Amino acid sequence: MYSIKLTDVSKKYRIGKSSLNLRSIFRRKNIATKFHWAVKNINFGLQAGESMGIIGPNGAGKTTILKLLSKVTFPTSGQIEMNGRFSALIELGAGFHPELSGRENVFLNGTILGMRKAEIQKRFDDIVQFAGIEKFIDTPVKRYSSGMYARLGFSVAAHVDPQILLVDEVLAVGDMAFQKKCYERMQQLIQNGTTLIFVSHNMRAIQKVCERSMVLYRGEIAFEGSSADATAEYSNILRKAAADFQDVSSEDISEGIGQQIMTHEAVIEKIEILKQNNEATNTFPSGENAIVRAKINFYKDAPAPVIACSIRHPDGQVVYDFTTEWAGIQTPDFSAFTSAIIDFPLQLNLSAGSYQLGVNLAYKDLSKYYDRIDRGLDFVVVSSSGARGFADLHAGFSVSKITENKTN
Amino acid sequence: MNHYFDLLFAWSTRIIRARYQQSILGGLWAILQPLATVLIFTLVFSFLIKVDTGNIPYIVFSYSAMVPWLFFSSAITDMVDSIVSNMNLVSKIYFPREILVFSALIARFVDFLIAFAILILLIILYRLPVNLLTWLFLPVVLICQILLALGIGLFASALNAFFRDIKHVFTLIMQLWLYATPIIYPVTLVPENLRNLYYFNPMVGIIEGYRAILLHEALPGNSFIFSIVISLLVFAGGYSFFKKVEVQFADII
Repeated sequence: MYSIKLTDVSKKYRIGKSSLNLRSIFRRKNIATKFHWAVKNINFGLQAGESMGIIGPNGAGKTTILKLLSKVTFPTSGQIEMNGRFSALIELGAGFHPELSGRENVFLNGTILGMRKAEIQKRFDDIVQFAGIEKFIDTPVKRYSSGMYARLGFSVAAHVDPQILLVDEVLAVGDMAFQKKCYERMQQLIQNGTTLIFVSHNMRAIQKVCERSMVLYRGEIAFEGSSADATAEYSNILRKAAADFQDVSSEDISEGIGQQIMTHEAVIEKIEILKQNNEATNTFPSGENAIVRAKINFYKDAPAPVIACSIRHPDGQVVYDFTTEWAGIQTPDFSAFTSAIIDFPLQLNLSAGSYQLGVNLAYKDLSKYYDRIDRGLDFVVVSSSGARGFADLHAGFSVSKITENKTN
Repeated sequence: MNHYFDLLFAWSTRIIRARYQQSILGGLWAILQPLATVLIFTLVFSFLIKVDTGNIPYIVFSYSAMVPWLFFSSAITDMVDSIVSNMNLVSKIYFPREILVFSALIARFVDFLIAFAILILLIILYRLPVNLLTWLFLPVVLICQILLALGIGLFASALNAFFRDIKHVFTLIMQLWLYATPIIYPVTLVPENLRNLYYFNPMVGIIEGYRAILLHEALPGNSFIFSIVISLLVFAGGYSFFKKVEVQFADII
């Protein structure tokens, strides 16, 4: 039996004038109003104890899905099936009254989230301890810092002990240590059989908490799969969207790496990263052999161009940069109106994380670029070693000999 | 389902606590408000313009009606706004929305009980005869009044979510309604030829009911039966309207 199941769920909102006017009611006439589909044809199902991350740009419909699941609003069409008691963390500290003490607000908030008074009483000490505000529990919450407020809010919701937990992007507040605590609590709940839906912009948090994720884009599910794949796919969707939005051929987009002249006499049409068997994927185990492939269209003769491949961190730092020039590789001459497919086979000795792949093509004398794409594609490296840093050097460990040193 | 009773209780407590938090007199306001209103009317109607209230002192006569009336009108005023003023909750968390409306009334009911205690004190002070058997009928009148208030509150709070004008409309209605009900004057002051029309106001039967029980050792008259019917109809109508449109609350902000 599914814990959560959505079948062809769509929801449309009226846009323009926020509310209907009296006249239209009395006339019972449908005025031509514009509608906006907040979500469209959403299908997915989760068994008990499964978790699903939802990522997507603002306005993609993430919050609408949460609202539909928490029965705050109802779908225009389609069916939502939910089995089990649920708790929604859409807003931290819902119903908190600033004049009331932390203690009173815990009971208030707990009952709003569906707990019995007796249950709250039983868990009261845990809630306060988890929030770490024992000293201030009888102080009116208006004197709380925003961090304390959020901690108490999360703490109540996390102790509801729901069979289904819906978490919106609410953990952005609070310090790192508390966020970590929240993620651990979520993981713990999943292990205890809670079904979790987690909406976040924090890719690392999503990957940590959820096995599966979906990417929402313009109200539709653009991708569904492992969280690692989904976060990579999300970056790609964002990039495509940005490219659709602006003029791609605009020459004055400088990526902040100095003045670059791009002649576009040759254009990199496509960048891919493939497994060794030519299978396309976004996720690679650390140390795996992969192929970076680019398709280039030449519009003018390009004698022995320098071709480079780069890997960056999402923050822009270069992790690896390889050029045919530095490697002393002689590239062939390409003639006008031909296309070529170039491959860089490489070994991904990278630590776990997400990376951005770039390819560029420069004049033989490095005076100009034909074309350069610094962030062409995102991919994710996963590793079980838990090692940090740029590179994964696949360290091992052994103890060879224990000798006793005489002290006297 | 039961946990919604806990929520009802918690939410009502929240309203009461918040209302008297950081006020010096606190719950005393529940007494001061009707008392002050009645004192003003007492000044006007027993010294300036004489109103015949039989053998009942004017102050007891008007206070016995003012207490239930203020409960009625302040509860309605609070209920009308109860959905809109908690929109941030309504648009984010699911719980039966009528809890907000019911709590607004319950919070005013506590004020009513406090003010009612003073009424009993007045009755003792003026040594009015008391028939405790008729007092047993008091809850019936109270429930009738509450159903009427809830019906109006549910209907108006839902409508107020769509049209914010409703709140202002009701402030006006409650002011006029006070004068259309025998609170500061006896029914006998209403011209005979208008009496039938006058009794269409369900609050007339209810207020007359309170006075019959508290001041005249009698049971409510026929007009109260009419009030019961109207109250039940208003409650049923208001509640079903509320349930019908509540699904839209979260979408219309």
